[in-house]
Amino acid sequence: MENTHHTGGHAAAHAEEHSFDKKAIWRTFWILLIITIVELVLAILHFSTGFPPKLLLNGTFIILTLAKAFYIIAEFMHLRHEIRNMIMTIAVPALLFIWFIAAFLWDGDSYRNLRNRYDPYHKEQSMPKKAPEHEGAKPGELH
Amino acid sequence: MANVVPANQKWWTGGKSPFNVEYGKLMMWYFLMSDAFTFGAFLISYGTVRFSSNSWPDPNYVFRSFPVIGEMDIPLAFVSLMTFILIMSSVTMVLAVAAGHANDKKGVIKWMLWTILGGLAFLGCQAWEWTHLYHQGAWWGRNPFDNIDGTAASTNFTNFFFTITGFHGFHVFSGVIINIIMLIMTIKGVFERRGHYLMIEKAGLYWHFVDLVWVFVFTCFYLL
Amino acid sequence: MANDSFHGHPEVVTTHEVHHDEHHVHHHKETFITKYVFSQDHKMIAKQFLITGMIWAIMGGLMSVLFRLQLGYPDQTFPWLEDILGRWARGGKISVENYYALVTMHGTVLVFFVLTGGLSGTFANLLIPLQIGARDMASPFLNMLSYWFFFGGSIVMLASLFIQTGPFSGGWTFYPPLSALGDASPGSKAGADYWIIGMALFIISSLLGGLNYIATILNMRTKGMSMSRLPLTCWALLFTAILGVLSFPVLLSGVLLVVFDRHAGTSFYLADIFVGGKALPNEGGSAILFQHLFWFLGHPEVYIIILPAMGLVSEIMAINCRKPIFGYMAMVGSLFAIAILAFLVWAHHMFVTGLNPFLGSVFVLLTLLIAVPSAIKVFNWLTTMWRGNIRFTPAMLFAVGFVSLFISGGLTGIWLGNSTLDIHLHDTYFVIAHFHIVMGVSAFFGMFAGIYHWFPKMYGRYMNNSLAYIHFWVTLVGAYLIFWPMHYQGLAGMPRRYFDYSQWLSFSQFSDLNKFISTVAMIVFAVQLLFVFNFFYSIFKGRRVTSTNPWHATTLEWTTPVRPGHGNWPGEIPEVHRWAYDYGKDGRDFIPQTEPVGPNESKHH
Ligand code: HEM
Ligand SMILES: [Cu+2]
Repeated sequence: MENTHHTGGHAAAHAEEHSFDKKAIWRTFWILLIITIVELVLAILHFSTGFPPKLLLNGTFIILTLAKAFYIIAEFMHLRHEIRNMIMTIAVPALLFIWFIAAFLWDGDSYRNLRNRYDPYHKEQSMPKKAPEHEGAKPGELH
Repeated sequence: MANVVPANQKWWTGGKSPFNVEYGKLMMWYFLMSDAFTFGAFLISYGTVRFSSNSWPDPNYVFRSFPVIGEMDIPLAFVSLMTFILIMSSVTMVLAVAAGHANDKKGVIKWMLWTILGGLAFLGCQAWEWTHLYHQGAWWGRNPFDNIDGTAASTNFTNFFFTITGFHGFHVFSGVIINIIMLIMTIKGVFERRGHYLMIEKAGLYWHFVDLVWVFVFTCFYLL
Repeated sequence: MANDSFHGHPEVVTTHEVHHDEHHVHHHKETFITKYVFSQDHKMIAKQFLITGMIWAIMGGLMSVLFRLQLGYPDQTFPWLEDILGRWARGGKISVENYYALVTMHGTVLVFFVLTGGLSGTFANLLIPLQIGARDMASPFLNMLSYWFFFGGSIVMLASLFIQTGPFSGGWTFYPPLSALGDASPGSKAGADYWIIGMALFIISSLLGGLNYIATILNMRTKGMSMSRLPLTCWALLFTAILGVLSFPVLLSGVLLVVFDRHAGTSFYLADIFVGGKALPNEGGSAILFQHLFWFLGHPEVYIIILPAMGLVSEIMAINCRKPIFGYMAMVGSLFAIAILAFLVWAHHMFVTGLNPFLGSVFVLLTLLIAVPSAIKVFNWLTTMWRGNIRFTPAMLFAVGFVSLFISGGLTGIWLGNSTLDIHLHDTYFVIAHFHIVMGVSAFFGMFAGIYHWFPKMYGRYMNNSLAYIHFWVTLVGAYLIFWPMHYQGLAGMPRRYFDYSQWLSFSQFSDLNKFISTVAMIVFAVQLLFVFNFFYSIFKGRRVTSTNPWHATTLEWTTPVRPGHGNWPGEIPEVHRWAYDYGKDGRDFIPQTEPVGPNESKHH
């Protein structure tokens, strides 16, 4: 009978000599590069004109980031070419991040509201007294 | 899926890997899942603290310098360069893996060299950025940057920045070390004698993961 | 030659140099070091985990005896305490700081080092390769490292008991600010750093182990061992490993941020704090963030503790009822459901932190959902026993005890899972009762069941039955006597983690009860020493096992020789033809997994 120890390495070493298409690699590279440039342009645009509005901008950033992550995992890490069940063992645990993120941020937001409501001193300290532009200092200026 | 296997192949009956993958690669993948939770926890903590703060410094303003040129008014130019370097080194890494599949020792050596170089370049950039921020007065427990609305910021902007980029940098560093070891083993012909370059592939997975994390760090710290 | 297939395919073994060297061990003489210390044999590593875990269990148990002494007899002094504890108990009375240190270390040691490391470390190592039909773990080398990281973590944690300012004393949950500010208490000084280092090593150990268990179960199953033929032990250990691999890193991150708060002047978890009447400059952090991170691990952790016990119990039940396990697929499905839900409910530990009430209600819903798969499991154990031809071996008794305890403790979980009730019950003895019964004692019962059952496989001898029966009855009765009354104390509002309850009128009514509990605790502890004696005595003097399959079980570990060498099967690895639960089928008492399905056999799996 076959010794199970071997089979893993054996099968894999030989059965995987298919893919790694150089064209796909470079295509992925261009996609990643273009997305990054788009992100950069959007950031600069927002910085100098205030457009697009922050919320829309952040939503776009998150979507673009997930797109980049997808390409890195699928193409560079070659996951797209693995057996479907293996993909599932990676993808299903990754879904745990949804509630991980949602619950944490939700409670972080709630914590801010609670402090603002019950700790007036904290609120006074961390809310702008007047619009910062009038002080002549740029936002985020060194002090 | 693209894998070339007979459709009626019974994968789960035992006696073979159900994923047609050798155990080391499987362990690497699941290690990366684990590490993703480490990074995830850091980034989510950062998000939580940011959500619980009334205001936060503006990254476009903080990260707007470039070496030599100095304070440009183009925000994020330097970090974009760093991102480009890391993506580029990911490409060279895949090319090394591909060369390994073709049992092309010369190709592996060439592309591994480029990858290591990319990693070192990235680390260099990070060192410059850290030094620059340090000279502006930023460090763990010290934050010279005001919030975007002009109020005084807590130190958590810099606390998280240095902790998370530091942890990422540590991963890049260990990735470079791993890649150097792989390069040496390749040059010595270890993999050639083995008949396959699976080790390069595993190192590659790690390297791409480092790139992947950077994508998220980039978004969370520099864009959002 | 028997080992031919073992050493065959030289061109393939190349990815397995580690194994390759290992497999020659049959021919080479093993030294003491390679056989007993830096062993790469999963069976030896299992024993290492078990014995280290036992040493920790004795120490952790002793700690509880010491602080129960304080709780039961708050007005008395015990001069001999000063003799053994020195400055920890000046004048024969444990000091407040050291009381907290004892409570904290008791929790840390038992949760992590005994019921996680000791339990899944032992049985994952022992059973996975044997039951799936593999020579060893996927990577015996990393497996060895896993033990030695565990050992290193143990040493650091142990060392913290002996330093000047004492071990960490802020509770096993390591909440800041007690963990983050050295000035907050004596235990918050070096003891907290030791705790962090010890736990970091422990987490690395659990990661190395967990990755190995997963890869082994997926990749190394012998021919015919499909996933649906796996014994439930392996399923449970697989889910345990997954839980660990995905949740421990979050604790690591959370604790790393504590390191920065301690030593780099950051304020991740700190804001608005006064220490010794002085306001600290830290601003902007949130102590609640740590609780989120901790319990993101902490809740899966309780299932990391209980799932292996569930697996062991399921297996032992079927064997000793001479019946197939009831609802095999439901058992697997409920393990899966528990594993998923374990990640979604962490904030039920935080209902009274100021957690957003609406968010809390979502956590209530998710928490109560866990009752469903839990109930499915209980139902299946009961129906497995129903009309079974039960053999009351010590292992079986402990398995039945496990089910009893799991029901008792699970029911109180449903109380606590309702945030409105939890406002009253949180941080009272009710919680202590809940988790000691459902997790502490029942996981120990699963572990005892496993040890009694697989002792013949580990050492080729039986443990003594009479001692085992005494051990069982005293422990079962004692555990209920200790923890059942705590429910009433908790309902009456008695908070946990207090040094002396006699100061409060409303709690001094419990002083006799507290004495009673403490007395029973000491008796139960003494009986555990009896178990330890039985264990070590039987290793050398126990009745010898003469047949390879003493329990008439179906699984593969009983097809190996009585004392298997490294590699487990002297010849080829057996092939599997059926599931693990063919008991009492077609008029036969049991049919081993290795037996091909006969032409006239009734419906098979
Ligand atoms: C029906 C299932 C269960 C439910 C609904 C449940 C619910 C809860 C809740 C709400 C708490 C927090 C109580 C408080 O601090 O106020 C709690 C505490 C706890 N539970 Fe459970 N539980 C269940 C089963 C389990 C199981 C199976 C285990 C372990 C194997 C477990 C271990 C623990 C531990 C260790 C704590 C306390 C930790 C601490 O505060 O130190 N629970 N449980
Ligand atoms: Cu819980």
